[in-house]
Amino acid sequence: MFRPFADWIATTKLSLLFQNVLWIIPLSQSIHILSLATLFGAVAMINLRLLGVGSSGRSISQLVNTMIPWVWRALAVLLLTGTVQTIAEPVRQFVTPAFWGKMGMIVVVAIMTLLFSRSVRSNAARWDNPTTRPGSAKAFAVVSTVLWLAIITCGRFIGYTWFFYAQG
Amino acid sequence: MYEFLGKIQDLGLSQAVRGDLGYEWLFPIVETFHVFFLALVFGSIVMVDLRLLGLTSRDSLVSRLSREVLPWTWVAFILAACSGTMLFMSKAQTYFYNREFDLKFLFMFLAGINMMVFHFGIYRKVGSWDSTFPTPAAARVAGAVSLLCWSLVIVFGRWIGFTT
Repeated sequence: MFRPFADWIATTKLSLLFQNVLWIIPLSQSIHILSLATLFGAVAMINLRLLGVGSSGRSISQLVNTMIPWVWRALAVLLLTGTVQTIAEPVRQFVTPAFWGKMGMIVVVAIMTLLFSRSVRSNAARWDNPTTRPGSAKAFAVVSTVLWLAIITCGRFIGYTWFFYAQG
Repeated sequence: MYEFLGKIQDLGLSQAVRGDLGYEWLFPIVETFHVFFLALVFGSIVMVDLRLLGLTSRDSLVSRLSREVLPWTWVAFILAACSGTMLFMSKAQTYFYNREFDLKFLFMFLAGINMMVFHFGIYRKVGSWDSTFPTPAAARVAGAVSLLCWSLVIVFGRWIGFTT
């Protein structure tokens, strides 16, 4: 059902522009990687702190207040460059299960991160004290890290559509 | 040199990564791990550079943040180098004579020089500016040069894939 939509996007003037100006796709992908690295660095600092293996110099609420804004900034740039790449190569994107898996996981991890940062901001004292910290803290850290790694993996595999069809 | 690179390409590991031995999925898998590790390298360096520029983590001492973050950077850097070497081996002759590949390593070299100038320069007196703002000009320059060099490493790294 998405194939006709993708075919239509591919014929629009904007898509043709992105396809024909040779530096647009590599530049957009480069900015995409810089942003995902910034996001992943910020996420890793928070999650390692929740797991008790890093950033011990700051409380969880300090770290969340510092790092979460970078997560949202990077995510905004990722959505923008990702949209450019989708407009440029819509067919490749929409036929790949990796694309839909990636989008689904981004929604899940974004909602998780939003709820987590809201909880930390409204109950800073509870999160900062190891004895009163919600038991879900470590589970959040593990699930969030795994989801981001899976999102990066799917993102890389969007570039290898043959992988999903060459089998069997 | 070309013959030597050919010998590297003929190694079993190179053939496997290239997909010649029936593991077509290995090249994208190694690439994916390369992205994981480069994300940790760049993401962690960004947080230190932004602190040197005074733009974030102002509640942390520079020395403390460096001690907490940079060991992770080094572990991730070694893993990125290992996965990158595997990618290189699979098409050694192609990558060795690639302009973007040269530029990537030029900027990695410059990032290394910048790191040493910083480490053996203004960082030796970090005790006197650990929590002061604005940070010293030399520290801000080091942070900005580092951000620029590492960004270009990633840009040229991505570009290699469009030229080979």
